[in-house]
Amino acid sequence: MRFSDLEGEAGEILQRYEYPKAAMLPLLWLVQENQGYVPPEAEAWVASTLGVARSQVREAVSFYNMFHTEPVGRRELRVCTSLPCLLRGAREVLDQIENRLNISPGGTTPGGEVTLTEVECLCACELAPMAQLDERFVGPLEGSTLDSIIQDALVEPGDPESAPEPDPYISTAGPVLSTRFEDPDGTWMEAYLADGGYAATKRALTSMSPDQVIDEVLKANLRGLGGAGFPAGRKWSFIPKETTQPIYLVVNADEGEPGTFKDRYIMERDPHALLEGIIIAAFAIGSHKAYVYIRGEYFRSARRLQRAIDEAHDRGWLGENIQGTGFDLKVVIHRGAGAYICGEETALLTSLEGGKGFPRLKPPFPAISGLFSCPTIVNNVETLASVPFILRHGAARFAAIGTATQGGTRLFCVGGHVVRPGLYEAPVSITLRELIEDAAGGIRDGKALKAVIPGGISAKVLTADEIDVAMDFDSLREAGSMAGSGGVIVMDETTNMVEALGSATRFFADESCGQCSPCREGTGWIHRIVRRITDGRGSSRDLDDLLAIAGDMEGKTICVFADAAAWPVQSYIMKFRDEFEHYIHTGAKSRSDEAA
Amino acid sequence: MPSLTIDDREIRVSGGTTVIQAAEKLGIFIPRYCYHPGLSIAGNCRICLVEVEGAPKLQIACNTPVTEGMVVRTDSGEAEDGRRAVLEFLLANHPLDCPVCDQSGECDLQNFYMNFGRYDPRFREHKVKKQKAVTLGPHVMLDQERCILCSRCVRFTDEITKTGEFGIFNRGDRAELGIYPGEVLDNPYSANVVDICPVGALTESDFRFKARVWYLSSAPSVCNGCSQGCNVDLHFMLDRPHLNDRARLVRIKPRYNPDVNQWWLCDEGRYGFGWLDRARLTEVRGPSTDAPVTAKPNWDQALTSISTTLAGLGRGQQNSGNGTGAEIAVIASGQLTNEELFLIREILQNFLGARVSASVADEPGSSDDFLIKADKNPNTRGATLMGLAGPGAPGAEQIVDEALAGNIGALWVFGHDLVELFGEEKVRELSARVNLFVFSGTNENPTASFAHWVLPTAAYVEKDGTFVNCHGRVQRVGRAFPPLGDSREDWRVLLDLAGRLGMALDWREPREIFQGLARALAPLAGLSYEAIGEHGADLMPATGAEP
Repeated sequence: MRFSDLEGEAGEILQRYEYPKAAMLPLLWLVQENQGYVPPEAEAWVASTLGVARSQVREAVSFYNMFHTEPVGRRELRVCTSLPCLLRGAREVLDQIENRLNISPGGTTPGGEVTLTEVECLCACELAPMAQLDERFVGPLEGSTLDSIIQDALVEPGDPESAPEPDPYISTAGPVLSTRFEDPDGTWMEAYLADGGYAATKRALTSMSPDQVIDEVLKANLRGLGGAGFPAGRKWSFIPKETTQPIYLVVNADEGEPGTFKDRYIMERDPHALLEGIIIAAFAIGSHKAYVYIRGEYFRSARRLQRAIDEAHDRGWLGENIQGTGFDLKVVIHRGAGAYICGEETALLTSLEGGKGFPRLKPPFPAISGLFSCPTIVNNVETLASVPFILRHGAARFAAIGTATQGGTRLFCVGGHVVRPGLYEAPVSITLRELIEDAAGGIRDGKALKAVIPGGISAKVLTADEIDVAMDFDSLREAGSMAGSGGVIVMDETTNMVEALGSATRFFADESCGQCSPCREGTGWIHRIVRRITDGRGSSRDLDDLLAIAGDMEGKTICVFADAAAWPVQSYIMKFRDEFEHYIHTGAKSRSDEAA
Repeated sequence: MPSLTIDDREIRVSGGTTVIQAAEKLGIFIPRYCYHPGLSIAGNCRICLVEVEGAPKLQIACNTPVTEGMVVRTDSGEAEDGRRAVLEFLLANHPLDCPVCDQSGECDLQNFYMNFGRYDPRFREHKVKKQKAVTLGPHVMLDQERCILCSRCVRFTDEITKTGEFGIFNRGDRAELGIYPGEVLDNPYSANVVDICPVGALTESDFRFKARVWYLSSAPSVCNGCSQGCNVDLHFMLDRPHLNDRARLVRIKPRYNPDVNQWWLCDEGRYGFGWLDRARLTEVRGPSTDAPVTAKPNWDQALTSISTTLAGLGRGQQNSGNGTGAEIAVIASGQLTNEELFLIREILQNFLGARVSASVADEPGSSDDFLIKADKNPNTRGATLMGLAGPGAPGAEQIVDEALAGNIGALWVFGHDLVELFGEEKVRELSARVNLFVFSGTNENPTASFAHWVLPTAAYVEKDGTFVNCHGRVQRVGRAFPPLGDSREDWRVLLDLAGRLGMALDWREPREIFQGLARALAPLAGLSYEAIGEHGADLMPATGAEP
């Protein structure tokens, strides 16, 4: 392949961005789509196209784990072994796939049909245990579906596949976010407009000032639903009023917190709701350019959102002079390439600018100096998708759904050992018990509950007698954990907490960006100790060492990743210390022993 | 101008100052790895943690701007525990190969461990393996395992040289420093990354395994490699000659000077010192005679002979001797100190009436818009101030032509290689034409073999004096160690000569010569060695703008 053949497309890509280097990931994707991997000549081509040193291109290629630097099979099968999949048998699934394809993770079948990759959470925990074949999510991998995906892995890309389209439990009852989730192919412009769509946008753009919009969102008590829970209206108000720089809205669609899969459903099944939220937010903060940063593994989300953007353009809801109001907005999709840390808002901005996903020192905060050093607001998908409801039905109605400090609903992602893993929309005042026992049908196989992670893998674990807590940010914080991303991972009495912790520590060791020394060294160190314990070589001092190391990591880094890596260690060991001691002192069995 | 308190001491600093800078003003040193005042703030090493009253957690001093009334503790238990924790993390995967590491003894992992070490190590896992002893370029070696990923070198090649060679590849504890495979780190400032590397990850190929740093002595000086006059420290070793192939100077490091070179030094200047200990002139050589050489000529014989001839040719005795109408000519050098050039002016030009030129049309060397200047002499500006170079001064070529025309009776050349400049034939002819041809210099060169007298002189590291750089800043060089062999400082030779000529000079050493110089030359008025100090002083502004 000659890179000159790609120059036309490269030129189009470069036009989307204010600075050439921001086209780093799209150009690398372009190369990989055409060549299957990124060879050194491609790095040189990308470097000269962007006007950067080759070392910077190599930094990116080596940082994002979806880029291949060697030729791979014609298909790629990514098998998730993160905690939610692990709880539902991912290890056995991977073993079977390895045996039947006769390759190990990282390997390619001798005929070059497929490369097998073991990956961290793909955020499709409702399908656990699951895998991704090229762009398609498949699961649960049980019975014939497992056979199908192994067969499909060997057929030519584009040929008919046998694995069935997944059919998990997805809430469609609303009232805010999920009312149009029924249509598995998404809700498109016609249907959205028929549902009263874009009325909220019209109201904001024609009858309200930006400050009135901010005020409405403030009164609605809309909190940032990416995980931090910061009041959305207040965040918007931080944009300097007198700035002469361009203002950017950046949508954080880099959903990656293990246990979470809500944003994908919004983008795939109701993309116009997100677009409406984007237009309203952009109007409120005075932005005319929005970027949507979608995690690299979400191929379908990116395609569907792009289709919605194109529809909105055609109908005059995006572009110049939206609906004759004089307001302009351009929305550009930017795909990530496999790095959890890019969900941290400043890492996302660094990544969007073409660098490694390194979180930034704060201050300055993005609202003052964000994307391309301009004032920037970063909002999560679910947060923005809630905005049209607020503008359409009023802040009071939205606020009334939730608690005194958090309005509305959330899309709770329930996975692990429940009868019915799936996506549940509920007012944030719902308790964890209600969510598990009523919504998700309780613990499967009649087992007893042992532990729950209420807000994604970073959240501190709660025990079975700590689940009578409401799911809003403040209640869960008071309960010593956090609402986080809304990813609820349920563990029954058969769960081995040491191995569960091992899954979490591996995740953090894999995903640390490596910038700050306590996190870079601490996550790897912790994981090596836990792995030694699970290998049966633990010692009595390990638990105290783990707690000390976790404590030493906390609060000493640029972003909260290190804290998030410390919390599982602390909470698992403190709440299940007896189990850990027993595991160590009885010379814990390795998995193969258990199987025997 | 916010005022704040650090460790109970109050200080007022300008707005925008960071805590680490404010502490430095108080003489409180806060440990740092990634922070470097010449580079952007990375904030990644986390060793500079301090306690700030009211903040929920420890803050990094390098990125915390001071605010009015801020109360900072660098010495509290919490701050020290924070640093201890960070240092333990940094050492977790560090190979601890100090016994074979060139950085040992000047390593900030070692240094800070003395204060913030956890002397009962807890790390009992296998360390991450990375590449060792990687040659990055002509001057720099990389050990990835020792690297603490502070990114100083990455920022140096991004921000200072803008050459972008370095990158940190991969992530988590697999992150590793490197340059793009197949590329070479050979920008003109490459070795600065060794200086700023706080650990033993980047070391100098040239210094590799030569000596433990604690064997080295250090003396401040100024690079003589070009007219920029970058400040340097000379690291030398006199008592272990076997370690460095008998060479005394082991390495040169940049010395911080905010007005000249900041923290930096070019590779050309840094590694251009081989001549100091190689092919040096160490003995006086006299006119060849037919008589068997029973004793080598010595300084006394040389200066007696030279002074007698010069006195015969000099002002007052002119035309009285050989009737050739000859006079004395001197080709001086921008490599000489101001003190020496001043003596040449006073003794040879003013007392003897010699024609003196320090205007030698060398081929211009490489240059850039940063530190490297095309004029490879450190003191052309000094020679110009004294009228020995620049407008009004004769060119060296004129003097050579005059000599060839038979109008010169005695020629004294300081350091220059006339053979390279004018060709061997001309120099051979010139040597035959003049009555006296003196070459004084530090090193063998083809011109020396045509001279009647060869006087071995001291290198700039072997003598005291001053240079004026191209921006009009007068700076001191100092004697790091004595002249090699029988070589002598030019100023000493010239003072000796003055005595033999009957001149009444009461200067005994460079410091005193400079006092005379400062009285004689307006741009230097009021200056002294003390006033020049370690960082130099700008000439009086009236002349500071001279070309």
